[in-house]
Amino acid sequence: MIEFLSVNQGRILGDLEQHLYLSLLPIIIGLVIAIPLGMLAANSRWANAPLLGLSSVTYSIPSLALFIAMPGIIGTKILDPINVVIALSLYTTALLFRSVLDGLRAVPEPVKQASTAMGMRRARQLLTVELPVAIPVVAAGLRVAAVSNISLVSVGALIGVGGLGDLFTYGFQIGSYYYIGSGIVLSVLLALIADVVIVVIQRIATPWTRARAAR
Amino acid sequence: MIEFESVTKRFPGGGVGVEDVSLTIPTGKITVFVGPSGCGKTTSLRMINRMLEPSSGRILHDGQDVAKLDKAKLRRGMGYVIQQVGLLPHRTIVDNVCTVPFLLGRSKARARADAVALLERVGLDPVIAKRYPAQLSGGQQQRVGVARALAADPPVMLMDEPFSAVDPIVRESLQDEFLRLQHDLGKTIVFVTHDVDEAVKLGDQVAVFGGGGRLVQVDAPEDLLGRPRNAFVASLIGRDRGYRRLSFVPARDLPSHDVVTVSTDATTREVHETSERTGKSWVLSVDSDGRPVSWLDGRGDGDDLGRVPVGNTFTDDDSCRAALDGALASPAGLAVHVDADGRVVGGVGHDEIARYVTSLRSAEGGTAEDAGQDAAVEADA
Amino acid sequence: MDEGEGGALMSGLLSFLFTAQNWALTPDGVPARLGEHLLYTAITLVIAFVIAFPVGLLIGHTGRGAFLAINIGNAGRALPTLGLLTLLVLLMALGILPVIIALVILAIPPIMTNTYAGIRSVEPDIVDAARGMGMTELQVLFQAELPAALPVIVGGLRTATLQVVSTATVAAYVALGGLGRFLIDGQDQQDYPQMFAGAVLVALLAILLDVVFVGLRYVAAPGGLAARRKTPTRRAASAS
Repeated sequence: MIEFLSVNQGRILGDLEQHLYLSLLPIIIGLVIAIPLGMLAANSRWANAPLLGLSSVTYSIPSLALFIAMPGIIGTKILDPINVVIALSLYTTALLFRSVLDGLRAVPEPVKQASTAMGMRRARQLLTVELPVAIPVVAAGLRVAAVSNISLVSVGALIGVGGLGDLFTYGFQIGSYYYIGSGIVLSVLLALIADVVIVVIQRIATPWTRARAAR
Repeated sequence: MIEFESVTKRFPGGGVGVEDVSLTIPTGKITVFVGPSGCGKTTSLRMINRMLEPSSGRILHDGQDVAKLDKAKLRRGMGYVIQQVGLLPHRTIVDNVCTVPFLLGRSKARARADAVALLERVGLDPVIAKRYPAQLSGGQQQRVGVARALAADPPVMLMDEPFSAVDPIVRESLQDEFLRLQHDLGKTIVFVTHDVDEAVKLGDQVAVFGGGGRLVQVDAPEDLLGRPRNAFVASLIGRDRGYRRLSFVPARDLPSHDVVTVSTDATTREVHETSERTGKSWVLSVDSDGRPVSWLDGRGDGDDLGRVPVGNTFTDDDSCRAALDGALASPAGLAVHVDADGRVVGGVGHDEIARYVTSLRSAEGGTAEDAGQDAAVEADA
Repeated sequence: MDEGEGGALMSGLLSFLFTAQNWALTPDGVPARLGEHLLYTAITLVIAFVIAFPVGLLIGHTGRGAFLAINIGNAGRALPTLGLLTLLVLLMALGILPVIIALVILAIPPIMTNTYAGIRSVEPDIVDAARGMGMTELQVLFQAELPAALPVIVGGLRTATLQVVSTATVAAYVALGGLGRFLIDGQDQQDYPQMFAGAVLVALLAILLDVVFVGLRYVAAPGGLAARRKTPTRRAASAS
């Protein structure tokens, strides 16, 4: 096993690097798009229903289908990694939009009323009161998005862009458990690390939730 | 009859449950468990239908150890009402009421018909039978909870703070209807509350639980108010316990005397003359049937003569508390004594009520001491 | 073929979808592939449900093993589909069995965690009242907890169905049928319009099934729960 890893170090590290890039870039893009969309939906009756429907439909589309359909929709090359990045960004946006909306809705009514009563304008209240209070719910969505993105990327190997998924298709072709096994282990490990990192960031960003738990 | 024999309950986490409680709950009466939160009153209730099991000691129901009975069967024979009601959200009101009859395998059509009748009995409009719990107000849900507990006509009812979650006005009407219902049904009821007023109002017997899950005192409400066993009970029942105790002193022997009345048709001059002749500054106007209407100021001006409507009157069946309340609310300082038909019989002043209660105190050798003192203080105020 | 001109692709897609031969009842026509896809999905869901539902009920009702349920849910999400599939095929040789096993492994977590979460989310007072009225534990579970938890459980089935439909597409890579064949074959034959058409068909199927579940959720929530939904109670539901 150790011999296998050292011999194939180059291939594995290359796949890992691509895997990280393909799964984590969409998380950042998705978060940046989802926050304003969630705030819009939470504050506008007319935007709410269509955005919710759109996110639900997007999330239900199988990942491989979306990877393959990307060139047809936006005219990229079929082997371009950008297809995977855009498709996963769409999923992440759909999922996080929902989390942001849920998080904002879960802000206790007295908190909102108190901020209004103290004379905060709507935008300031959203940014300085409601969004921070919603962080735990958004972080929970972020964890789901990160973990599923990391496992979804490998499907991209079927169209030649799949990070660690390359180890699955290559291992399958040459009939080697080593490749597939190490691909699975690395992918799960990566998901675990991403999960822990998000939890740690959330704890640092929301010290008040720990204070409540400790009481 | 339900008997607690040296029942102790300890929780694994070390939390205090119930410590060595022995108690007899008489058949056909309301026994109230009262005490501050965490005193073991709910734990005690929940051991009766084995929602919890005692760590030691036993509980007998009609002489049988409940621990030896089948849990589900035992519970089906005891109505159970809790503060949050816990109606099944996916079932209509009528089917919620039918829960236990259905469990007992009774005919559905019959059970539903009985349930609708029961809804009316607890003061609900039968049109709500087809609705779902979420469509009802808190007070309505609580009535449904009582109807559901009564549906299989169990001889025993266990009620855990059933009226605590509703607002005071609704609570009072629920309590009154509950008493009326119990008057008809005569169930053996165990009722848990943290509200001393509720305990004293509803209980035939009140069991006070104190810290550490110990039973401190079991007595009839008037004895509890008159003779609190220790400082804990005294502080729980509060500073105005003497005034409260007046609720248990009948008004029929109060020294009622004539009051000066005029007809509602009387002119201003007639009222002034009556006042001057009798030396009373307030006279009572009564209608043609002799029912009291309002107090009139014998020196008042104009048509309205400082008119004050007569508030609470009292009958022979009321308590001294009702009489004192009427007297204190009246501008003449007089409670209006009426007969069963509401006709004026006489009146009694607040000072006279205080004197009467004080005389009881000396007659009873001090048992009514607090009542007399508190009443006197109230009357002077 | 590498260069995708949008217009050409659309016409390619349309010509695929409107070619009668593609819709013929041959083993490689759309109806047969669709049938295979639905068959894999149905078999998988039945097996996964039979395993996951009782376990979820048990964990939810007793409260024991919640830690297990949560971790299985998280692990299921982290497991890469393609890796699991290829590994099982290598271990068991080509055929439908390894594919179904892989799909079942993916479908179990959402069904189990949502069943568990649904049962746990039932208000404790409702359960207490049900037990206090003399329901047996099974009656408490099936007459009080399960009906109230049904919408959340249907939500779990929905997530599982979407995952299975999605992953059944990948099954074509290990020499099985289903709509994924158009994607894999199109890739091999450098026929992008066929791939694109396959992708569109799979997406439509997934969206359609999703809509079915949205409807099912309303059916699963009879009047009482629907009435309650109008008040803003937070969904105790899943990650989906």
